[in-house]
Amino acid sequence: MNLVKLCSHMLALFAVTAFASAAETTPPADARVAQHYAIGKISTPPGVDPQLGGLALLPDGRLAAAFHHGQVAFYDFKTLNWKIFAEGLHEPLGLLLGQDGSLLVMQRPELTRLRDTDGDGVADRYEALWEDFGMTGNYHEFAFGPVRGPNGKLYVSLNLASAGDTIREEIRGEWSPIGLSREKFYDVADWKKNSTAAGRMYGRVKWRGCIMEIDEATGAAELFATGFRSPDGMGFDAAGNFFVNDNQGDWRGTSPVHVVQRGGFYGHPASLVWRPDWEGTEPLKLPIEKLNALRTVAAINLPHSFYASSPTAMILIPQTAAWSPFGGQMIVGEMNSGRVLRLLPEQVDGVWQGACVSFVDSQALRGGIHRLLFVGDTLYVGRTHLIWAGGEGIGTVKLTKTPFEALTMHATPDGFRFTFTAPLAAGAAEPARWPVRRYYYKYHEPYGSPQTELTQITPSKVTVSADGLSAEVAFADLKPGFIYDFNLSGLTSKQGESPLNPAIAYSLNKVPAK
Amino acid sequence: MRFFYLLVLAVTLTSSGLLAQPAPASKAKAAPAKKPRIVKMFMRDGLRFEPPRLVAEPGEQIVVEIENNDSTDQTHNFVLLRPGTRDAVVQAGLALAEKGPVLEYVPPSADVLVHSRLLAAEGSGSIAFTVPTTPGIYPYVCTFPGHGMIMYGALYAGVTPPPIEKDPNLPPMVAHGAVAGGGQRPFAQRIFMPDAGPAAVAIALVGSQNVCWDAGQCRLRYAWQGSFIDASENWAGNGKILPIVPTKPWWRALKDDFPLRFGAVDSAAPKVKFLGYAATTTGPVFHYRAGVTEVYEHVLPAAGRPGIALRLQIPRAPGLVFYRTAADPNAQWTSSAGTWRDGVLMLTPAQAADVTLTLTSALCTP
Ligand SMILES: [Cu+2]
Repeated sequence: MNLVKLCSHMLALFAVTAFASAAETTPPADARVAQHYAIGKISTPPGVDPQLGGLALLPDGRLAAAFHHGQVAFYDFKTLNWKIFAEGLHEPLGLLLGQDGSLLVMQRPELTRLRDTDGDGVADRYEALWEDFGMTGNYHEFAFGPVRGPNGKLYVSLNLASAGDTIREEIRGEWSPIGLSREKFYDVADWKKNSTAAGRMYGRVKWRGCIMEIDEATGAAELFATGFRSPDGMGFDAAGNFFVNDNQGDWRGTSPVHVVQRGGFYGHPASLVWRPDWEGTEPLKLPIEKLNALRTVAAINLPHSFYASSPTAMILIPQTAAWSPFGGQMIVGEMNSGRVLRLLPEQVDGVWQGACVSFVDSQALRGGIHRLLFVGDTLYVGRTHLIWAGGEGIGTVKLTKTPFEALTMHATPDGFRFTFTAPLAAGAAEPARWPVRRYYYKYHEPYGSPQTELTQITPSKVTVSADGLSAEVAFADLKPGFIYDFNLSGLTSKQGESPLNPAIAYSLNKVPAK
Repeated sequence: MRFFYLLVLAVTLTSSGLLAQPAPASKAKAAPAKKPRIVKMFMRDGLRFEPPRLVAEPGEQIVVEIENNDSTDQTHNFVLLRPGTRDAVVQAGLALAEKGPVLEYVPPSADVLVHSRLLAAEGSGSIAFTVPTTPGIYPYVCTFPGHGMIMYGALYAGVTPPPIEKDPNLPPMVAHGAVAGGGQRPFAQRIFMPDAGPAAVAIALVGSQNVCWDAGQCRLRYAWQGSFIDASENWAGNGKILPIVPTKPWWRALKDDFPLRFGAVDSAAPKVKFLGYAATTTGPVFHYRAGVTEVYEHVLPAAGRPGIALRLQIPRAPGLVFYRTAADPNAQWTSSAGTWRDGVLMLTPAQAADVTLTLTSALCTP
């Protein structure tokens, strides 16, 4: 979730009456998407606010969904009917089937286990599995998850509070004395003045900005990683690597995707106060070099607004014929547009990095894509918005015809190796067809970052394989620490198609050794 | 990459005389006016506008971003009207008959201040306008034939809106839906609540009583009689705006005073841990640990009297149990077992295994 920047709306109040058409027109790009993906929707429960917080598949094949006003409801794919299972939850933003058949739901104040003990199809036990974390009453303290790791542990993530708001005098849990004094946070009148000292986003109660590891049987919790701001999306790749994304903002030049290790620090300093080894320094006052040395950089940067402004759920595409050739790849949702992206991470000499590229990008998907779930051959897309950009309800996506576009992208000692979903047409070896914008986003306290040291470059050499399915793209001056943002719209397939999603951006942290 | 398609209908209605003059474009450039406020408006299943009402300052510049999210594929528009003209405009819309489609069902009328295009399901549009400078309650309505009698809301400009469940300017169904749980009793809603910790539970009991129970502090905070909470503003926003407790609580617990004590009445307050609750037909049964002692606390209406009851079950009390109540001239505590002295109930472990405390007040009505 994110404070969406509304300034991009080209809005003016004209002195003359001006009418712009609001008629339904399908943009050409969406018409192209429709040639490859069938986009639809399912109903949501009658009388229930259709903003979706969580999706899960039940053992009996029904779809479980959590909604903004606190309901959890089950959808029967055969009867197309919804049944309310639980009610009265506080902003549930994640659902997961428990190992014991219960349903786990992350709501603002706790990780809750829902049970139906009398078998009437309605939850009668709302058990607090984990509630030992702080709450100040600040609206931005959303709670996300849970996801289950390959070790069977659960992982949840807790948002920082926003300086767009104060805290309440009655809070839950321990208050960190490091930083602006607590009383100042109550002072609504002077808050504008005080808030700058609070930090744009702050985490003065426990585990805010942290990833927590929870034992599903006992609820015992352990700090897993620090350095997050608004980490909505968590997921695991097939090898069990743990991916967590975050939202552009302060200390987040653009939205990052991190590969997270136990004990790691991922850049937003507010949560450092909750590290057991933290000796009491105000993290906001640390020199940037110190923070830079502490942090692990993003594996993949999602260039702001061009690729994603507010990333969400991350899941794997099933390795089925229906989703071939994309099976096994990771996708991520995006709040601010009707877009789901593919992520192409890889580890190079121990360092994670990789590319992002749009997967399905269409107004037909609306926006607010918050939760993703594959059931059979269908991708279910749960949408929300609160006060920000987004959408509502549950969309569906099916792959009907594989589009022509880059399938994989890897770093090489000289540049990048691409594979494509269909053979490239002749002429693809011309370097001019592979223009790149190279830049990076700054790591700093201010909100967001410009694309820095932006240069337009073209490869020194492009070598296309004999079958036309892959290409080696070499650069004379390959520099790590930059995003290589390719525009492949100049390429065509042998069938004469241009790439459905021509923009692909690789975050090069490390150049592979020769 | 594409920006979200935003279709702006910029309107001024200077000719109507009702709407404030916007700054001329050139002037606005020289000294940029305050950015217009963006308000989201959804068209939802069941012929509903969400939110059902808007509050604005007279003369304020706002942009209403409208999305038709009706999953039943209904077509809708958003038409803002002069105060008190809703029925007339809806009738005029119906009277358009075969001329309706061309006009997108908006009757040519001076009572229509501003309107959106007709939006098909999944359609979106946006209207920018200046709120009339004359304070008033400006209805908005969908004039698509058959919708206008049900599908409407109200823009309050410089007028304080009444409690939503009593708002005569909203469809009765909407007013009903504004109450969390839609009128179900018992019903428990976890939500931010005024005068409680952030992990609060609002409970509508069978009958007319309601309580706020604090899941962070594992104790009852206050009780009120009448309607349950109106959470519509909380839900329409990002969660920051507290729900409305529609009537003044007739009882409040003291701040920072956990009522249970073990062993001695003045022993230190135990550290509490919330364990969850069971939903029953008579109200939630909360489960928590106070120190090492497990407690079940069933919140339910008082039997035969106006008020509330707490059935406490402490299966393994380590010794004497004390329940402390605050001095309150209106409140009356009674219990099914134990001894009261100076507002403190003393229970033996056997009594504490199952005891019901009843709280009534002179401020409660039958
Ligand atoms: Cu309508």
